[in-house]
Amino acid sequence: MSNPKHDKGEHYLTTPKAEPFLERLIFNNRALILIAFFFLTLFLGYNAVKIQPDASFERMIPLEHPYIVNMLEHRNDLENLGNFVRIAVEVEEGDIFTQEYMETLKQITDEVFYLNGVDRSGLKSLWTSNVRWVEVTEQGFQGGTVIPDNYDGSSRDSLEQLRQNVLRSNEVGRLISDNFRSTIVYAPLYENNPETGEPLDYGEFSRQLEEKIRDKYEAQNPNIDIHIVGFAKKVGDLIEGIGSIAWFAGITIILTTLLLYGYSRCITGTLVPVFTSIIAVFLQLGTLRLLGYGLDPYSVLVPFLVFAIGISHGVQIVNAMAVEAAKGFDSVTAARLAFRALYIPGMLALISDAFGFLTLFFIEIDVIRDLAVAAGIGVAFVILTNLVLHVLIMSYLGISKGGVRHVQNHGEKQDRKWRIMSYFAHPGVAPISLLIAVIGLGLGLYYKQDLKVGDLDQGAPELRADSRYNKDNAFIIDNYSTSADVLVVMVKTEEEQCTQYNTLRAMDTLQWELQNTPGVQSSASLANVSKLVTKALNEGNWKWYEISRNQTIINASIREAPAGLINTNCDLTPVLVFLEDHKAETLKTVTERVEEFASNNNSDEHTFLLGAGNAGVEAATNDVISSAKNMMLIFVYGVVASLCLLTFRSIRAVLCILIPLGLTSILAEAIMAVSGIGIKVATLPVIALGVGIGVDYGIYIYSKLEKFLLEGKTLQEAYFETLRSTGKAVIFTGVTLGIGVVTWIFSPIKFQADMGLLLFFMFIWNMVGSIWLLPALARFLLRPDRMVAKARASK
Amino acid sequence: MATRLMCKTLGAACLGVSMAMSAPSVFALADIIETPSRPTMLAAENLLNDADRAGERIVAAGERGHIIFSDDQGETWVQGQVPVSATLTGVDFGTEAEGWAVGHSGVVLHSGDAGKTWELQLTGIEAAELAIESRQQQIEEMEQKIEEAPEEEKADLEWALDDLFFSMENLESDLEIGPVNPFLDVWFENEDHGFVVGAYGMFLRTTDGGETWRDWAPRLENPTGFHLNAITQITGGALVIVGEAGQIFVSVDGGESWEKRESPYEGSLFGAIGTGQVNEVLAFGLRGNMFLSTDLGKSWKVVPNEAGATLNNGAVSDDGRITLVGNGGTVLMSTNGGTSFRPYSRDDREGVMDVVPLSGTNLLIVGEGGVKHTDARGKNLQ
Repeated sequence: MSNPKHDKGEHYLTTPKAEPFLERLIFNNRALILIAFFFLTLFLGYNAVKIQPDASFERMIPLEHPYIVNMLEHRNDLENLGNFVRIAVEVEEGDIFTQEYMETLKQITDEVFYLNGVDRSGLKSLWTSNVRWVEVTEQGFQGGTVIPDNYDGSSRDSLEQLRQNVLRSNEVGRLISDNFRSTIVYAPLYENNPETGEPLDYGEFSRQLEEKIRDKYEAQNPNIDIHIVGFAKKVGDLIEGIGSIAWFAGITIILTTLLLYGYSRCITGTLVPVFTSIIAVFLQLGTLRLLGYGLDPYSVLVPFLVFAIGISHGVQIVNAMAVEAAKGFDSVTAARLAFRALYIPGMLALISDAFGFLTLFFIEIDVIRDLAVAAGIGVAFVILTNLVLHVLIMSYLGISKGGVRHVQNHGEKQDRKWRIMSYFAHPGVAPISLLIAVIGLGLGLYYKQDLKVGDLDQGAPELRADSRYNKDNAFIIDNYSTSADVLVVMVKTEEEQCTQYNTLRAMDTLQWELQNTPGVQSSASLANVSKLVTKALNEGNWKWYEISRNQTIINASIREAPAGLINTNCDLTPVLVFLEDHKAETLKTVTERVEEFASNNNSDEHTFLLGAGNAGVEAATNDVISSAKNMMLIFVYGVVASLCLLTFRSIRAVLCILIPLGLTSILAEAIMAVSGIGIKVATLPVIALGVGIGVDYGIYIYSKLEKFLLEGKTLQEAYFETLRSTGKAVIFTGVTLGIGVVTWIFSPIKFQADMGLLLFFMFIWNMVGSIWLLPALARFLLRPDRMVAKARASK
Repeated sequence: MATRLMCKTLGAACLGVSMAMSAPSVFALADIIETPSRPTMLAAENLLNDADRAGERIVAAGERGHIIFSDDQGETWVQGQVPVSATLTGVDFGTEAEGWAVGHSGVVLHSGDAGKTWELQLTGIEAAELAIESRQQQIEEMEQKIEEAPEEEKADLEWALDDLFFSMENLESDLEIGPVNPFLDVWFENEDHGFVVGAYGMFLRTTDGGETWRDWAPRLENPTGFHLNAITQITGGALVIVGEAGQIFVSVDGGESWEKRESPYEGSLFGAIGTGQVNEVLAFGLRGNMFLSTDLGKSWKVVPNEAGATLNNGAVSDDGRITLVGNGGTVLMSTNGGTSFRPYSRDDREGVMDVVPLSGTNLLIVGEGGVKHTDARGKNLQ
């Protein structure tokens, strides 16, 4: 138990002689401040409740990157290119050539036709009239709809006729799977409703797909399975995923409350920190809304952090008050003393948290900057609610008798535990700890070599590999000749010049260059269309598979080109490059090849611009992330180091605090490499958050340790006293922070799960590092005698 | 130097190797006939239009100036060095070492080393100039003829003269754009003597191994300028050309003079092959139409064919078996000298452009999807 006299010491960490100004200001106006908080909470809480989910995906991409600038500039020309859903209707038993299947497919086609948002003219399925078979005859072309005119479905003849038409339709691999066990209903979507101009509500559209298509028809025809993919579906699933956050919030609050009670054995000491932390969350959310922000899948996580930070610092207050109360002080005095003891390390810790967040501003992606703003605001409110509101409420309510007893009783048994742990500072144990740390460092460095930038998994990286969406996606990739990863190169020409021979030939050459590049599966552009149709116009003879030099023939060949391949002015035409995956290396190789080609071939006639498509966006994002990563690390460590240096005025102290953090950062990267998590929009902030928040433990531990060393204790003895007074709070802090984020691991949104896993590791391991490694480092780095001498000299 | 493709099996394994191959850098684009074909591991998996034997070696030509050859029955392929990137449509070897390939932009390529390296002998520009020159000569001769002809024949001759003018104007306006028209097939008798045929009735002959060419179109009765799709020699030595709108021409004097045959069909014929019997020829084309003649094309019999896809080419194996290949994965086989065929439809349904019989009854087919090894029916091996 610390001696009250010590608290009257002269060191900056212990309270100054008199009541500091802040303490007087707060404690002399207790009622007034509480009332102010009440109204502030009412006002901001009202706003917080009204905050809207905001899945604006434009905010998730690096808007300043040239690829994205190009993409957005030509967005209207490319609009319908990527925005469609594909609904694969699969037969479980048998094949598609049955009456039942065709009937279900017809009903699904009709149902999709009437879905709000579908561009009906572009809708394609076996049952739409735009899906035809064509054959060259002596007289010219002959063709018809794939469904025979006299189709009745019941006779074997009409089904056989259907099979024939399907085979000659050229749609096998596109609308019809190679194994004839599924077909696709392809529905292009309007970004904005052409009648009302309203943007498509992805959440609603996705729900309708589930209800009106998947659920309805799977129930109606038990022999079919429905698989749906497309940007709109993915966004819909993400929006739905945000909803599950509410559950996580509930679970986190319950777990934290239980843990807190186990810790304090005091109802007020449990409920007040939970209450004030929730208030901090409301204040944060309300302020966000007033500033015009919504909740996106990233910033929705900030309230968890705010809550956890609130609790973890609240624990320090409860702990300090219980200690003071145990000495016999009344609740107001206990609260004052707790405030006096904690407002500096508390503020330091919280300010370093905030600075950690602010380093996220280096990443030129709006969601991450929003995250920084949200977290910064949150931490600012935690300083208020935790150091002011919390203390004031506690000053009225006090620590319960049970809580005080719990602090008093922790004696013998606890002390033995702390005694054993104090050996971390022992000259015999410390070298072993350091050796283990060095081995850990070595392993970490070894494994982190495999760390990759970007998303590594197949399919939609935002969602889990085993999510419904990604399973559907895998089904379509397996059964159809199609890739989910598309890089779009935009070819810009003068108006009406986008089909010139030279331009088409340059596109064709680029495509071939890319198809010879590792990671590229195939490509498509007007050049392909022109060659294929030229071939078709020459009686289907493959010997004519070439771009004609004759512009009249080119024009004839692209007359029926898909709308997405040519814009209305004919001054922009895309080259679609289908990739095997969206790994950073693949994207880098391919984009570099395109840029090289562009710099050699851009001319007055045509300019090749990168890059749209999901792969273009990812390439740009990776670019931004890799260049931001080191900047951010340097800055976050720089800020934390300066703050520690400013506070403790000792390089040795800074090293003691930062080395465990560094080890954790490296191990976290190794874990990322081993578990296949890349550095991406979601995981880069984790490094900043982990360091910014992780430093708190070191600050709390070191400030106590230094205090006891200055009292003349030996290192191990000082560390024992440190553990006795704050060890429990620090461990508890680590655990609460961990619990605050651990529920995310179960999020249906993959990047939230990744963030949860990494933050959980960093919070827990930073805590372990500060308890275990910090004293070992202190054994080698600190010179207690000199510290005492220096402190005396400065007096 | 040719690029070695060291892949045991075509397809996946090749891709693996291609990663290791350093890519040449991309320079600003020259005209397609001045751009050498890019070294690639993918030539054997992309469109190949024609194949021929150069001794034991198999040589195939296709899109983007690809010419590949194999010395191990098509197991591994090496890409030849080709100075153009245009789609190639035909390849033929006059001897084991001397071969010619033709294609779009009117290119004629020659190899003296059995397909390893190729040089450009003729382009569509020169071909068009030759044709224009020859048309002018024809016009002069015709004008002469009209003057000398009796009155009652003059009207017909005037029509023919109009045709010639029309043909020349077309050639001239095409030439303004560039070498727009493709050659579609090539046949060489030996290292000196050969023919190329092509779009709009293009027909050239060389007797000095391609050093010089003469426009031979006037020897064919083809005033409308129908496409000439294929030229072949049948057993007995006669030469046969087939083309658009059922055109059939036969020469029994080594190509000096040609006779137009009455066609059994008004649609396009894409290929003709000898059956292995003297003076017997099979002609085939659009929608699987097929005709057999045993008298040098003087009379034709329809060969029934259930498969309705266009037939492109064919070959006769040592055992007399005839295989025809076509669009939509069609492979037809006859063991009775071409009187009837058994159809087979390949799973991939890709167009097949040519077939080369291998040892045993196996086949090597080339087409839309590159090279494939198949059994006698056309079913993929393995």
